[in-house]
Amino acid sequence: MIKKAKGATLALLPLYLFALVFVVGPLILMLVLSFAPQDGWSYGTGFTWDNYRAVFSASYLNIFATSLKLAVIATLAVIVIGYPFGLCTALLPGKWTRFFVASQMIPYWVNSLLRLYGWIIIFRANGLLDQVLMGVGLTAEPLKLLYTYPAVVVGMIYVLLPFMFTSVYQVAEKLDLSLVEASRDLGAGGVRTFCSVILPMTLPGLKTGVVLTFIPSMGLFFIAQILGGNKTVLVGSLIEELLMKAHNQPGAAALSVILMLMTAVVCVFLLRRAKWQK
Amino acid sequence: MKKLVSILLVVAMLTLTLSLASCSSESSDRTLNLFTWAGMFPDEVIADFEAKTGIEVNYVNFDYDETMLAKLQAANGGDYDLVIADDYIIEVAIAEGLVQKLDTAKLPSLKNVNPLYQGQFYDPTDEYTVPYGAGVQTIVYNPAKINLDIRGYADLWDASLADQVGIISNYRVINGMALKTMGESYNITDTAKIAAAGEKLQSLAPNIRLIKDDNIQDDLLSGEIDAAIMYTSQVTVAKMTNPDLKVVFPEEGIGFGIMAMFIPSQAPDSEAAHEFIEYILDPEVSAKCYEYLGYYCTNAAADALISEEYRSFLTLPTEFSADQMEMIGNITPEADAAHLEAFTAFREACE
Amino acid sequence: MKKKTTFLRLAYPLMITLLTYLPILVVAVYSFNESKLTSTWGGFSLKWYRDLFADEGMFEALLNSLVLALTSSVLAAILATAAALGIKNARLPGKRLLEQASLLPLIIPEIVLGMVFLSFFSLLGLPFGMLTLILAHTAFCVPYIYTQVRARLTVMDHAVVEAARDLGASGWTAFFTVTLPMLAPAILSGMFLSFAMSFDDVIISIFCTGVSVNTLPIRVYTQLKTGVTPEINALCTLMLAVTILCYIAAALLKRKKPRVK
Repeated sequence: MIKKAKGATLALLPLYLFALVFVVGPLILMLVLSFAPQDGWSYGTGFTWDNYRAVFSASYLNIFATSLKLAVIATLAVIVIGYPFGLCTALLPGKWTRFFVASQMIPYWVNSLLRLYGWIIIFRANGLLDQVLMGVGLTAEPLKLLYTYPAVVVGMIYVLLPFMFTSVYQVAEKLDLSLVEASRDLGAGGVRTFCSVILPMTLPGLKTGVVLTFIPSMGLFFIAQILGGNKTVLVGSLIEELLMKAHNQPGAAALSVILMLMTAVVCVFLLRRAKWQK
Repeated sequence: MKKLVSILLVVAMLTLTLSLASCSSESSDRTLNLFTWAGMFPDEVIADFEAKTGIEVNYVNFDYDETMLAKLQAANGGDYDLVIADDYIIEVAIAEGLVQKLDTAKLPSLKNVNPLYQGQFYDPTDEYTVPYGAGVQTIVYNPAKINLDIRGYADLWDASLADQVGIISNYRVINGMALKTMGESYNITDTAKIAAAGEKLQSLAPNIRLIKDDNIQDDLLSGEIDAAIMYTSQVTVAKMTNPDLKVVFPEEGIGFGIMAMFIPSQAPDSEAAHEFIEYILDPEVSAKCYEYLGYYCTNAAADALISEEYRSFLTLPTEFSADQMEMIGNITPEADAAHLEAFTAFREACE
Repeated sequence: MKKKTTFLRLAYPLMITLLTYLPILVVAVYSFNESKLTSTWGGFSLKWYRDLFADEGMFEALLNSLVLALTSSVLAAILATAAALGIKNARLPGKRLLEQASLLPLIIPEIVLGMVFLSFFSLLGLPFGMLTLILAHTAFCVPYIYTQVRARLTVMDHAVVEAARDLGASGWTAFFTVTLPMLAPAILSGMFLSFAMSFDDVIISIFCTGVSVNTLPIRVYTQLKTGVTPEINALCTLMLAVTILCYIAAALLKRKKPRVK
């Protein structure tokens, strides 16, 4: 951390200016657009609350609930799977750590659409999974897993896991093992050591991971499209339909503003507890 | 160890970059900026055009028609020399003054175009566009798995098809299907009737296994679904792979969509665009294109050149008459909103 | 006893890694499929590799994607790391608000972000192409790196930096010898996430690109009208193979070197 005010100001300035122009600028455009009246294939000038009124109609609220539910399920699952993954990796001997970190990066050369197509091949009727399960004798007939809610959840976990993994790993890598051993020497059991030493020390990473998982999961809809057969209606896909099929740009902007506020509220809550601003 | 990983990434990138350096393209004086979806032309056709004319084709892609319109608006009708998009968006682009009139003197092969696809709503006088492929709404099903003689949309509601039907995610086509069973037009703007079609559609939900736009033919072929409403190119691929599949022209009426080529108003090289259109209108070139593309052939002179195995689903049956077809055109924003609401409720009912 | 816990710690990550690679393997296998469809196995074929090498546009798109992802993640890393170090003591109005604002590109659905970027860039009169792509990608890469670095800073031992200073190291020396190495895992983690997101982004890219720049994901997604060809599978498989080979080579080289520690 930079102590002197002048140096600190200089360090912050580039991002400050960049965000002012290239984030706040487009954001203002979006806000303006969300209050514009729809006018045929375009939007007119003027001010209206109509777009927001439409967001708060009953059918849209339902969709917000569906999105929130899926985001929460996905985030919880990613915590349960990803946190121990990051932690284990950081605590392993060096060569294994290297191996797992590298092996998490390599898949990113493969386009995400293709990776999801891979899951389709695995999940579909008489696909890889069915053949293995039926071969072993665990199931008698195809499971019909593809295009169901569980398939969507698996897809979400798959796409979001690296965010949790890297966040937890990079903090846990800093973990002072002597503290863990000291705790053990003092007679603390595994659970107590975890709760009193490991968890508090990796909490910032866990919380970053939660934020980086939760935020995209509110907007992710192409997984529900590809693995869920588009039957789970999410805010993201409604925005896409408004924009690309119903050519209602102001409506899409208003919906995004509400989604943004909703996500921001959850995040501010999480960040405050992460004690970033100490 | 982080160093190691970063070095690895850099090495990987360098290797790729070096392998790329060997295949950098030779530049030529003239370039045609072609703006359309990926995979609209076989590579050989593009290469042959480049060899014949010395014009390099710069193939730029968009995903949705609406994205294309937004990009064209941002460029004020410039930057791109030739665009291929769907009919309805072209009507909007013409209305906004983003399209220039064709110079018919440079296009002697315009006479090859099938008149059935001319004079349509988006360009009634054929001054701006040349059609490139037509989509025809059909029902495809696997008779080995379905014990029902499907003749029209109404049959899809049959209880024996539970969880077996796949449809594309396009509300004008899908809601339109319900409208058709009610004897209405695809293009009605009466929101009450659209809502009624939405109601009717909800009762189809138990039969729907999936709603998606991409690769739906794979699901039909793998047996995930046994009947489908899909895009024409997907029907072609499915039928070519499994000839036993049945393709039905629904008895309630047939919806059409046309893709067409147009030259933006401020195209940097409209001359090159004309040359490309003229080249594509050549019957032999056209035949190659449509077999590759899998959409209905809009070039009458090419019909006879399309090979036997493709002919039955790239050309319309001889007894087909124009009054059976209905174009899916633009409607009012209120009607669009009603469609979206009905379709959203339908998707929720499918879960 | 010790062996047993190491084994347990190993088993879990190993299982997750295997699952991660399952769909990747499928992608690789189907790059050798004679048929264009994933539903039919048409026999082993190198057809898609031949098509790939005949397809100049594909390699151009790949090169563009690599340049774009690398530039934006490096730019974002510089901006984000400097800001994370300076935020506490900087004197700029509304800095906390702007800190939150810089995270917004993550929260706004990308389809809307893309659309807004399009209107914003044309409002500014910027020429659409690599420049606008890099600006937009940097904007959405910053949050990944910023959050990682901030998390690392909270667990970092500030006493070490202080000690380095007390020992007479100048600000820059202390930064390069102490602070930067300590932050490296966070910066690299963030850069990895940004690189991956940028390399994979399609929606924002379509809106922000111009006539001359196509990226790899744009090539993949805009094939939806006619169906994605396994050419892309072939390309991805090649990239995987190259990366894995480099990794193995580096590991072997390391083993040969005598250890000095």
